[in-house]
Amino acid sequence: MQDFDLIETPENVELRQPLAGIGTRFLAGLIDNLLIGSVMLVVAALAGLASYGTITDIVETGDWADAWLLAVLLVILFLVYWGYFVFFELYTNGQSPGKKHMKIRVVKEGGGAITFIDVIIRNLLRCVDAIGGYFVAGACMFISRKVQRLGDLAAGTVIVSESTTDYAATSAIAGRITWDQPITPEAMEATGLTPQEYGAVMSYWWRRPELTVEARRRVLPKLLRPIVRRVGVTLPGGSLESLESFVFTTYIRPAAGGQAPEEVRPEVAPIDVHPAAAADSASANPTLADAAPAEAAPAEAAPVDPAPAEPDLAEPGPADAPAADAPKEPGPEPGPAENTP
Amino acid sequence: MTPARFIETRKNAWARLDALVRQAGRRGTAGLSSAELHELMRLYPGVAVDVARARMYGIDTKTQERINALAVAAHGLLYRRPSSRPGRAIWRFVMFDYPALFRRLLPYVALAIALFVVTGLGCYFTVRLKPSLAYRFVPEAVDMVDNNPGLSSDDMIERFRAMPNAPLAAGVITNNISVAFFAFALGITMGLGTCYVILMNAMMLAGFAAHFVNNDLGFQFYSCITAHGVLEIMAILIAAGAGLRLGMSVAVPGRISRVASLRAGAKDAVLLVLGTLPMFVVAGIAEGFITPSHLPGEMKIIFGVVLGFTAIMYLMLAGRVKRV
Repeated sequence: MQDFDLIETPENVELRQPLAGIGTRFLAGLIDNLLIGSVMLVVAALAGLASYGTITDIVETGDWADAWLLAVLLVILFLVYWGYFVFFELYTNGQSPGKKHMKIRVVKEGGGAITFIDVIIRNLLRCVDAIGGYFVAGACMFISRKVQRLGDLAAGTVIVSESTTDYAATSAIAGRITWDQPITPEAMEATGLTPQEYGAVMSYWWRRPELTVEARRRVLPKLLRPIVRRVGVTLPGGSLESLESFVFTTYIRPAAGGQAPEEVRPEVAPIDVHPAAAADSASANPTLADAAPAEAAPAEAAPVDPAPAEPDLAEPGPADAPAADAPKEPGPEPGPAENTP
Repeated sequence: MTPARFIETRKNAWARLDALVRQAGRRGTAGLSSAELHELMRLYPGVAVDVARARMYGIDTKTQERINALAVAAHGLLYRRPSSRPGRAIWRFVMFDYPALFRRLLPYVALAIALFVVTGLGCYFTVRLKPSLAYRFVPEAVDMVDNNPGLSSDDMIERFRAMPNAPLAAGVITNNISVAFFAFALGITMGLGTCYVILMNAMMLAGFAAHFVNNDLGFQFYSCITAHGVLEIMAILIAAGAGLRLGMSVAVPGRISRVASLRAGAKDAVLLVLGTLPMFVVAGIAEGFITPSHLPGEMKIIFGVVLGFTAIMYLMLAGRVKRV
């Protein structure tokens, strides 16, 4: 479950910013602190050389160049320690190098860019958050509603995750079907789905690479159930592989204008469903276990347009025959049954 | 309107706004021509409403996310504070806003001063009455006095002279500012951490003073610390006042939520701390260059008192004139 920060706009619409999690922030902080630490180490070593090697000479011989060098090094040490985050968060609008690497950003709670004062507050309070190796910060983030450490609470800032907010990246994941591509009335019609069903099927397909096989095996039958009930189509065999290739040929390819890019296709093949597991899933979802296993070859299973529907289902014919094939579902009668009287 | 029609009719607006947001990029609205800026302003409200409509139509979540992200980006471009010229902002802060803020938060600073004075006096008289307690409070002072029979103020100042002026000043300034930052930040522990900083400083200073006075070295001691010490202690106590302001906002939020109170308190307090930075710089320069100098002790004491008095005048009087 991802947390959001809500932006209330003057248009009375709530916009959502996904928040970065504790782990992500910890890693970003680790990167930043390693950078700070190594820079300070180098500067301190230089300062040590400048002072131990020559400081008595400076006093005795009045070597002012060395004295001023040491003074400058001390100031740099201070600036790195207290100023690193302030500088980067101001200069890059909320992204220190570690945050940039982890694709997260500091923003004002409720939307908007952070101000100078916000940055100062959250980074001066960092020294309290850092107590116990950022234990205080971690505990505070754990308790607070919007994953904020003390400095964030005081400054009114949140850390948002840009891995999903960055719509350029989102569209890259979403790939072929985006608003400037085939979500058109035609595409939707080609699949014969209602908008809600269409959205559900497409969402599943985009997210498929991110889901585990178990999750897919659990979700896909559930997702298809209402469609099956409405359209009255028969699903191919109970394995995930056959269900997905069914989805691909029936919905995805038509939506993409019948010419889905080649790279879509191989994603279907490598799914390794063990026969035993497939049997499990079939028995776990009895409603979708096909009553007629030898229906058709899975891949070419069914062009499911409502109009030229499957012969054995759309026909209002003898009530028993389709009922045997149709998924057995309690509740509202499936289409064919309504037609019988 | 069907969801499909909705997407169909709006997708050009989305693509256009998307292009504008990308073009603006990191430069913000400065990256757009005036005509493009107008276009952005015209397109954004519609797209914001589209976020709600997309939810209503229940179109696929990926597209919803993208419209939402687009609206967030455009919102971020349009609703941000105008950037003011930093030079002017700093001038106004120093000449008007900071002294006014100081006077508004004077009760907190006064509380810090009171804590400091009470602890200091207590510690001072304890060590005066029972000199052996100095071994507990300030072993360093004891070492210095015991190991240097017939200590003169010049001998004491030798300690400062062991370091060249510039690095001494730099080290002192950065160290003191760090202490001030801690005094402020620790205020978030409902003020307890800040009180700790105040008490430690008070005990150290008073313990030192009492032990030197016990050994008839009072003048040497004060001539050694006054030049920089007055301003330095003032600045530390102001920073501690900021910490107490922060702590009070957490401890006693009043009729607003604790987080809202903390936010208001932090804004006040951080500005109060930032204004002490110039004071630390001046005090540090004094410690680096005046304290180790060969000026007579009386001169150094007068210098320190005048410096402190000037600071008080500034804090109490500056910015009282009507702003033009």
